[in-house]
Amino acid sequence: MMTAITVPEDLWEGDGEGVITAWLVDDGSEVAQGDLVAEVMVEKAQYEIEAPVSGVLTIAKQEDQVVAKGTPIASLEA
Amino acid sequence: MTTTTATRKLTIARAMAEATAQAMREDPAVFVMGEDVGPLGGVFGNTRGLHDEFGGERVRNTPISETAFIGAAVGAASDGMRPIVELMFVDFFGVCMDAIYNLMAKNTYFSGGRVRVPMVLMTSTGGGYSDAGQHSQCLYATFAHLPGMKVVVPSNAHDAKGLMTAAIRDDNPVVFMYHKALQGMGWLGTEKGATVPVSEEAYSVEIGKAAVAREGRDLTLVSLGAGVHHCLRAAKALEAEGFDAEVVDLRSLVPLDRETVRASVAKTGRLIVVDEDYHSFGVSGEIIASVVEHDHRLKAAPARVAYPDIPIPFAPTMEQWALPNADKIVAAFHQMLRND
Repeated sequence: MMTAITVPEDLWEGDGEGVITAWLVDDGSEVAQGDLVAEVMVEKAQYEIEAPVSGVLTIAKQEDQVVAKGTPIASLEA
Repeated sequence: MTTTTATRKLTIARAMAEATAQAMREDPAVFVMGEDVGPLGGVFGNTRGLHDEFGGERVRNTPISETAFIGAAVGAASDGMRPIVELMFVDFFGVCMDAIYNLMAKNTYFSGGRVRVPMVLMTSTGGGYSDAGQHSQCLYATFAHLPGMKVVVPSNAHDAKGLMTAAIRDDNPVVFMYHKALQGMGWLGTEKGATVPVSEEAYSVEIGKAAVAREGRDLTLVSLGAGVHHCLRAAKALEAEGFDAEVVDLRSLVPLDRETVRASVAKTGRLIVVDEDYHSFGVSGEIIASVVEHDHRLKAAPARVAYPDIPIPFAPTMEQWALPNADKIVAAFHQMLRND
């Protein structure tokens, strides 16, 4: 089953955009639920994105790409 | 698609925080002091999570008074503690150099070896994001020049964690200089190559050992910190022209691993040193001297790609003009071939 990783709606205050500053696991690798997978920076503050479920990661938004709340940034194939 | 088990990668910021947390768990004498190192986690992210885990007694926010808190760290270290203290921007060493150089670096010598000063002074270096002349310097040579303290400069998260662990365990004062562009903080111009796989268990990287980041036969590129990544890009560009460049990552300035540099140049016969610190009286001159006073039979005169001897400009175009980069390294090599 495919599960999208989206930027959580409550990750930061307000509706500003963020930038993916780092993917902390490689594309195509297997991650466990709750693993820290990416960092997003918004106005110099950094936020963490965790894997919502376990699965094989396919990255959709690369480092330096702009994201908003709700943006799908990757998917997990269980 | 082939699936691999996740290899956990860390930014240098996270690697420094992890090494610090592991050291604090095993040794109650280790504590952290500095501006914004507490709940904020450091403006460069390298103390993130520490305040939550260890509390305000061991992760202490200080006022903007470097002379006082770095002086306090020297006293604590001399009395058996193992402080990790942060000078937020290396540029501000001027206000606390007496604590650093006349106390931290000399107390062991002045006491005839009876007083140890096992502290880590971590400090950010480097520019590239338009923070102007008082927030963008590297000043590697300024610290490496002064006897009595070790100086390390990691280029990636694996080395950052290992060097941080080694620095905390070392009974000498260690200056840990981390380049802002390698921290994994977006607004500082992040260098992706610095975010690499890092083991979860504690380990150390020996202070005083350089690493060969890329092997080659035709040319030796020597650098440190962010410069290593410029060298790796230059090496890739030169590969397309049919030249095979070796890249030496110094990792430590004091002690300086001259043997690894000399062995590389003995093999390639050509040397370019890349340094974001100022051109004159610096790391680049020291590396070249270390090679030529040992062996003058090179294929070409050594060259350096360093920061010009000017205050760092604020204007982005002017700053980018002044910074070392891969194109300048390739051009220096082409010039070297023309001079042959």
